[in-house]
Amino acid sequence: MHALRNTRLPEDGAAPAANPAHGGIGRWEVSSFARFGGGDRFDTLERQLAYFGTALWGLAPLLRVAAADPDGGQRRTSFSGPTILAPATFRGYSGAQGRHLYLAALAHVQAHLHHGGRRFPAGSLKPMQIALISLIEDARVEHLAMRGLPGLGHYWQPYHVAEPTASPTAASLMARLARALIAPDHADPDGWIAKARRLFFEAEPEWHDPANSRRIGGLLGNDLGQMRLQFDGLRHVVEPVYRDDNKGLWHFERTGDEAADDDALPLPARLEPDDGKPPQSGSPPDDADKVRLTPIDPEAGIPIARYPEWDHLIGAARLDWTTLVEYQPALGDAGPLALLLHRHHALLERMVGVIQPARISRSTRLRRQPDGEEFDLDAALTATIDQRTGLTPDPRIYTRFERRMRDLSVLLLLDGSRSTNDRSPVSGQRVLDLEIEAAALLARALERSGDLFAIRAFCSNKRDDVRYYRIKDFAEPHGALAEQRLAGLAGEYSTRIGAALRHAGAELALRQSYRKLLLVITDGEPSDIDIADRKYLVEDARHAAHALARDGIDVFCIGLDGEGENYLHRMFGARRVLHVDRIEKLPECAAALYVRLTT
Amino acid sequence: MILSDHYIADEPYYRPVGDEITLFEAAYAMRLPVMLKGPTGCGKTRFIEHMAWKLNKPIVTVACHEDMTASDLVGRFLLDANGTIWHDGPLCLAVRHGAICYLDEIVEARQDTTVVIHPLTDERRILPLEKKGELVRAHAGFHLVISYNPGYQSILKDLKESTKQRFCAIEFGYPEAEVEAEIVAHEAGIGPDAAALLVTIGERSRNLRGHGLAEGASTRMLIHAGQLLKHGIQLEAACRIALILPITDDTDLRGALCAAVAACV
Ligand SMILES: Nc1ncnc2c1ncn2[C@@H]1O[C@H](COP(=O)(O)OP(=O)(O)OP(=O)(O)O)[C@@H](O)[C@H]1O
Ligand SMILES: [Mg+2]
Repeated sequence: MHALRNTRLPEDGAAPAANPAHGGIGRWEVSSFARFGGGDRFDTLERQLAYFGTALWGLAPLLRVAAADPDGGQRRTSFSGPTILAPATFRGYSGAQGRHLYLAALAHVQAHLHHGGRRFPAGSLKPMQIALISLIEDARVEHLAMRGLPGLGHYWQPYHVAEPTASPTAASLMARLARALIAPDHADPDGWIAKARRLFFEAEPEWHDPANSRRIGGLLGNDLGQMRLQFDGLRHVVEPVYRDDNKGLWHFERTGDEAADDDALPLPARLEPDDGKPPQSGSPPDDADKVRLTPIDPEAGIPIARYPEWDHLIGAARLDWTTLVEYQPALGDAGPLALLLHRHHALLERMVGVIQPARISRSTRLRRQPDGEEFDLDAALTATIDQRTGLTPDPRIYTRFERRMRDLSVLLLLDGSRSTNDRSPVSGQRVLDLEIEAAALLARALERSGDLFAIRAFCSNKRDDVRYYRIKDFAEPHGALAEQRLAGLAGEYSTRIGAALRHAGAELALRQSYRKLLLVITDGEPSDIDIADRKYLVEDARHAAHALARDGIDVFCIGLDGEGENYLHRMFGARRVLHVDRIEKLPECAAALYVRLTT
Repeated sequence: MILSDHYIADEPYYRPVGDEITLFEAAYAMRLPVMLKGPTGCGKTRFIEHMAWKLNKPIVTVACHEDMTASDLVGRFLLDANGTIWHDGPLCLAVRHGAICYLDEIVEARQDTTVVIHPLTDERRILPLEKKGELVRAHAGFHLVISYNPGYQSILKDLKESTKQRFCAIEFGYPEAEVEAEIVAHEAGIGPDAAALLVTIGERSRNLRGHGLAEGASTRMLIHAGQLLKHGIQLEAACRIALILPITDDTDLRGALCAAVAACV
C-alpha cells in the first residue's frame, strides 16, 4: 500500500532540470546540493531549513521536532497554527535525498501557512471526504505557491510517482489524483481523476479561496463513496511523503484542537533519548561529587574576602561588613540551552557583528607614515636634508594616532537570586531563563570575538554569606562545562549586589587590559533578609559602582525586568543601564553598550 | 579649469524610482546639504553622478574610511625643494571651485574627522584651514552631499546628532520588482524575463536580512549575476558566484540560499 515511499530521486538529490520556459538563460543544475550538505536528519538540517523557509516567504518558520510515533508508523510533517513539527528523520531517505525531502516538506507546509485559510470545520464529514478535501487543498496551495516560485514544482513533483494499477484502492486513486493535479502533463486513464482535474483547473480563477477545496473535495468524496472502495481513515497515510498529515487543516470539535492552535508547542521530543544519544543530564552532578577531593560538605562554601558596605544613613562605610563566600556551581543540563543557542544563531551573528569590529585600545602614535595628520618632525627633517643634498627623500614623513588592537577584559556578573524565578510580565518567560540565555549568547559572541572574559554569579543569605560562583574563568575556554554551570543556576536567596560588585571589580582590577568591563545582568531591586531599609542596598551598590568607575572599570547593567528600572538607574546611572526584556533585543543592547564603551 | 576632469560628459543611466530628482534639484537650488540614505548597491552613487551631469556640475567624490583624517579631506603641507607647500584636499578643492562634494559612506570616517564639514553646512559656508591659517569661503556653486547606509552595523559608528541635523535626507531602497528588473536588464544587457527572475532570486536573499544575513543581495549584485548570464554562464553558477558566495561563509545559509534559488526557477 505504501509502495510510493521510495520515490526515485537522482542520487545527488538534485532537483530536476529547470523549467524549459526559462531555457534561454541556463538550466538550474543543482549540483550545489551535494556541496552544501547538512545531513539528512532534522537536527543537523534545522538551521538550513529555517533559513530556507525564511528566504522563500520572508517569515522565519517555527520549527520543532515531532515526538517519535510510538507505533513506529509512517512519519509525516505536521503543523498546528504557525508551529511546524518535523520528524527527526524520514526513514528510507538518507544523504542528499533526506535533505531534499525536508526542503520539499517544509516548502509544502509553508505553502499552507501562506495560502491556507482558517481550519475547515470537520463537522460530520466522513474520513474519506476529509482526506480528499485535504488533498485538493494541498494541490491548491501548492499551485498558488508555484505562481510566485515556479521552481517549487521541482521540489514536489519527483515524489509523485503513482501509476495506474489493475485493481485500484481508494488510497492508490488518491495518490494518483495528487499526481494528476500537480503534474498536469501526466496522463491518467481514470474517469474519476479526469473529472477531478477538470473541476480543479476550472476553479483556477478562484484558487485564492479555500472554500473551493472544500467544494471540490466534497464532490469527489461522494463519487468515491459510490464506487464502494474501502477506505481506512485511521490508518490512512498522506502521500506523497513530503506532504503533512493534514491535522493542521481541520478543526475537530470533540478534541478542541483549535484551542491549542496558536500556542507554540513546548520544546518536545528532541530532548528525549529517542535518537539513541544518551541524555546529557543526570550524570554530571554525580561525577562532580566524585571529583571533589575534600570530604567536607560539598554544599559548603569557602569564605574568600571581606568588603565594606556603605550605610547611607550614617554616610559612612561599615568596614569588613560583608563576607564573600565562594561556592561550587552546580552543573545543569546544557542540552536545552545549546538547542536555544542553535535557534538563535542569527542573533549570535548579529552580536558578533557588533562586538568584533569595536576598537577598544589605547591609541598609539604611529611614526614615519606615508599619510597622517601632522609631520613627523624627525622624518621631515631627514627628508629635507636628503632632498637638499640630492638624495631621494623617504616620503614617509607623517605621524598619526590610531587604535589598533583590541584590549578588553569583560566580567559578566549574573544575579542568581530567588526573584529571578519570577516570570517576566512581558514575555511570560522566567527571568532566570532569559538571564541564562542572554549570558550564554553573550559568552559565545565574546568567545568568537576573541575578548577575554569571565562569568560569575551571585546571591546572598545575609551579610556574612554573599555567595559567589565562578561559572567561567578568564583563562578557561568557553565551552560545554561553562554552559552546564550556567544551566545549573538555580535562583535562590537574596540580592546583596554591592558586595558582589566589589569582588568582581577586584577580580577585574587584577587584569592587565586597557579597558575593563563589568557587565551586571539582574532583574532589579537589591534586597537581603537582614535589611529592611529599601534604599540601603541601592545606595551601597551605587557607592560600589562609583568606586569601580574611579578605578577605571566600566560598569554596565543589563536590566531584565522593566520594573526595577528606577533602582538600576540609581545604582548604575541611567546611561549605563540597558534593558532587555526579550532575547531578540540583545544584539541592539550589545551595540549600544559598545558604542558607549568606544565613544 | 582646475576641475575640468570632474565634469561628467555622458548621461549616466539612472531610472528614477520616485520623486528623488525633483527633491534633489530643490535642495540643490537652496544649497541645502543632502544625505543619500540607503543600503549598499541601491543606486546612490549612480544617482549623484546623474544629478551632477544633469546640473552640469563638477563632482568630487571621496570614499570615506576609518583611517581618514581631517587632513585627508581638507589638505596638508607637503615637502618640496623649497620647504613646505600647502596642498588642497578634495573637500577644499570643491569648496573653492564650486563643485558637488560627495562623501561616500560618511559613517566610516571618525567623528573627529566628520566635524570639519560643520561650518560648511550651516549659513556660514566656510572651511577653516587651521594649519594654514586660512578661512575659505565656499564658492556659490559648492554643494555637499553625503551617503549613509543605515544598516545595523552602523549603530557602532553613527553620525553625531549635530552632523545629522545639518542635512536633508533622500531615502533610497531597492526599487519595486518591475523597476528593478528594468534596471538589471538595462545594466546587464539581458532580457526582461531573465532580469525578472534575478530580482525574484534577489528577494529571497533579502528575506534573510537580519536572519543570518547582514544585507540581502543588492541591485549591484543582481547586475553582476546578469552580466555573467550574458557572458554565457549558467544560472546556477552565476547566482552562486555573484549572489551567494560573496555574502556569506555559513554553509547552512549557503545551502539554504542555493535551495531557495532553485525554488525560483
Ligand atoms: N535607479 C537606478 N537606475 C540606474 N541604475 C541603478 C539604479 N539603482 C541601482 N542601479 C545600478 O546599481 C549599481 C549599484 O549602484 P550604486 O553604485 O549607485 O550603489 P550605491 O548605493 O552607491 O552603493 P554603495 O553604498 O555600496 O556605494 C549601479 O552601478 C547601477 O548599475
Ligand atoms: Mg498539506
